[in-house]
Amino acid sequence: MTDTAAPHLFSREEGLFLPAFQAWIDPPAPAPRAILSHGHADHAAAGHGEIWASPETLSIYRIRHPEWRGTARALAWEENVAGEGVGLALHRAGHILGAAQIRVEGPEGSTLYTGDFRRSESRTTRPAAAPRADVLVMESTFGLPVFRFPPRSESEARLVAECRRAGEEGAVAIVLAYALGKSQDAVLALTEAGIPTVLHGAAWKILPAYEEAGFSFPLSRPYASGPAQAGEVLVVPPNCIRTPVVRKIRKRRILYLSGWAMREASRAEFDADVLLPISDHADFDELLAHVSDVAPAGIRTHHGYARDLARILSRGGRKAEPLSEGGERAREDAEDTDMPAPKRDGGQEAEPEP
Amino acid sequence: MSAYRELARGLDSAASTRSRLAKVASLAAALRPLEDSELAAGARLLSGSPFAEWEQAVMSVGWATLSKSAASITGWDIETIGASARAIGDAGEAIGLLLPSAVERSEPVTSPLEIRDVDERLRELATKRRAADKQAIVEDLLRRSSPLEARYVVKTLSGGLRVGAELATIEEAIAEAFGADRESVARAHRDCGDIGETALAARRGSLDAIRFRMFHPVGFMLASPIDNPEEIESELSLDVVEDKFDGIRAHAHKSGSRVALFSRTLDDVTAQFPEIALALAAVPGQFLLDGEIVAWKEDRVDSFFRLQRRLGRKAPAVELLAEIPVAFIAYDCLVTGDTPLFERSWSERRGELERLAAAGGFRLSAVHRAADAAALESLFRSARERGNEGLMLKREDSPYLAGKRGRAWRKWKKALATLDVVVTAVEQGNGKRAGMLSDYTFAVRDGDRFVNIGKAYTGLTDEEIRRLGARFRKITVGRYGPVRAVSPEVVIEVAFDTIQKSRRHKSGFALRFPRIVRLREDKKAAEIDTVGRVEEIWESVQGGGTGKIG
Repeated sequence: MTDTAAPHLFSREEGLFLPAFQAWIDPPAPAPRAILSHGHADHAAAGHGEIWASPETLSIYRIRHPEWRGTARALAWEENVAGEGVGLALHRAGHILGAAQIRVEGPEGSTLYTGDFRRSESRTTRPAAAPRADVLVMESTFGLPVFRFPPRSESEARLVAECRRAGEEGAVAIVLAYALGKSQDAVLALTEAGIPTVLHGAAWKILPAYEEAGFSFPLSRPYASGPAQAGEVLVVPPNCIRTPVVRKIRKRRILYLSGWAMREASRAEFDADVLLPISDHADFDELLAHVSDVAPAGIRTHHGYARDLARILSRGGRKAEPLSEGGERAREDAEDTDMPAPKRDGGQEAEPEP
Repeated sequence: MSAYRELARGLDSAASTRSRLAKVASLAAALRPLEDSELAAGARLLSGSPFAEWEQAVMSVGWATLSKSAASITGWDIETIGASARAIGDAGEAIGLLLPSAVERSEPVTSPLEIRDVDERLRELATKRRAADKQAIVEDLLRRSSPLEARYVVKTLSGGLRVGAELATIEEAIAEAFGADRESVARAHRDCGDIGETALAARRGSLDAIRFRMFHPVGFMLASPIDNPEEIESELSLDVVEDKFDGIRAHAHKSGSRVALFSRTLDDVTAQFPEIALALAAVPGQFLLDGEIVAWKEDRVDSFFRLQRRLGRKAPAVELLAEIPVAFIAYDCLVTGDTPLFERSWSERRGELERLAAAGGFRLSAVHRAADAAALESLFRSARERGNEGLMLKREDSPYLAGKRGRAWRKWKKALATLDVVVTAVEQGNGKRAGMLSDYTFAVRDGDRFVNIGKAYTGLTDEEIRRLGARFRKITVGRYGPVRAVSPEVVIEVAFDTIQKSRRHKSGFALRFPRIVRLREDKKAAEIDTVGRVEEIWESVQGGGTGKIG
């Protein structure tokens, strides 16, 4: 089954395909040639033959898949790659270190595939670029108007204040954040405030990729070097909440950093004392702003509230519909559509490894 | 006059902490500054309803009215409102998030919402019948609300503030706010059935002046279960033994010619049981009895399944009244005349109950005593032979602890033999387990097919439910609205109270009060119990036995 998703982009059972480059975008299964938007595991599967990606994404991929022996092709931002009359270029996507949007342009027109993206900046990312395109294939993780996040700086200030307060009360602040992206950003905010951090192995092992990109983590140490002491902040993925890593800390204050923290229900799901809606995804307003800046003639939404966002955009006079594709369905199924919190936000982490 | 905003802030700060003490402090801080004229309404709103319990009034605002109102005020279409409520998991939170803040609104905001306004408008809802009238009121409230206020207005309308503060927490907050004794606050609230009046009396130091008021639902004293036979020996010190009846627990209020029956859910069920009301009305005096509504046949209690046909019918047909008569079996007396007896011992209350029973009009639960475990076992058997569920063991010197589950009362019902079943469908739970796949439909084996026999909600730990949730998502084979059909792989052991023939499930049987005992990860679906085995247990129940076989 093949469906033309957008100019030069096809939707097939196995995922999104660019015929002009004989390449798959973020394929969930090993592919001869994959173009990876970023390093989260649900976009960067193991075992590809050839990988095209930003240098940062390649570094992350190599750390996470040390066994990989394929061919890497690093693409600089906006560097044009030509193939059968079609041009391809990566544009910044915000989201996490190295995350890219993929733009193709040819005789049929132009397509911008956003991958996961964020338009506001963070400590480790610049805002997503918004190159014009005829068709915008856009993620819609937070495609409902209830998902409007407060400014990141405000949430980071709360993060620092709450962690400091926990320390003063002799408690260990536990920050629940995805291991790749969110954790490093949180650690940098805490480091700037002079607060030492203890990192879960999954977040710790990625640090070299960040150091390569010019970031440093002078106040951090790995969990393997010993449990967190009062005054230190423990940074672990959310799925650690039921493990001894968290449970054996008697005096603790739990902070949940996620877009899903907009839901009061996540307080119970994660035993969280503090809910901080910090996300690496575009919120609802950013999704609309992206549509407005890219100014596409058509929009295909995918991930999360794809159908809802497409309906909302259509009512606003845009031509929008959800993207259906085999690979997409497989991924949505694997995702926790009922209790989205622990997974969707790049919840790619394997079992916690203290 | 105080702004509703202050109550909403108090509730929000109570919601944002897991510490009970901090919740109490937030609620107390919200109550303290209220003026006398608005304190009662404020306290009731903090408890989630504009009405006192004795008023027995409901706002009856359904999702259709609520979502239409929200659509009209926020400008979002109904589908987006619905999707948002599902995504956030709470209509109040979602609508609060969708409401543009004051600065974003084009129309000028009218005067800020005062506690009195919210109280009046919510009360008005109970007086309106037409959906359009209700919608107009809800829209007016939302139009005048900030996002934070809307959050709690909508939560109040949709029947749950969900801030983790039960009535006991509000009672504690009242005590803290006005320097009153917690027990006195609880007693006053129990007696007058109005958390608002209680708050005002607490501030005025007049809690002791609150007298018992009839005709409002009072909490039931609950028994804790005896789970294993070893406990029986130690519980012999509990003095008296009664049969545990298989019916509907109810409080019967009677004064003059008026009678009201309140169920465990604190609903007025009087109209469902006219013959009981009529009989009690003929008993002289004013009183409040605790007892059981049972189906009655000749001279004994009839099965719960027959009683079920009488439930939920506001005005039962004459034919049904004749076919399934019911009776009220009283086992406690909480008020006689103007005297509340809650604080008196069981023995004293029993004395009053027997005195009232002399006039007829209701049945009296028989009291037994057991000298040793063997005697108790024999009482259990005869209770089962009389068609009752098991035994109640009560302490003679215990007061009536309204709304509390304690060890002064114990219940003993042996479970039937358990069944190993396989899960065939799952859906999300409610309340504390919202968002978790915690409700399981399960089946027994019929040859090489699986036929459903019941559905259970509890019994596993949150951790187990979470772990299974991940597995169920992997083995989902179809989706029907909120229900996921799953491949029959996960085996669980269920206990139940009894078994009945039923057309609801494919197996032709239904389990009463099924609960999950444990996960049987050691078992495969091919090894679970069969319909034949279910039939066997059913037959043993018909024989009046305990079903303890196999």
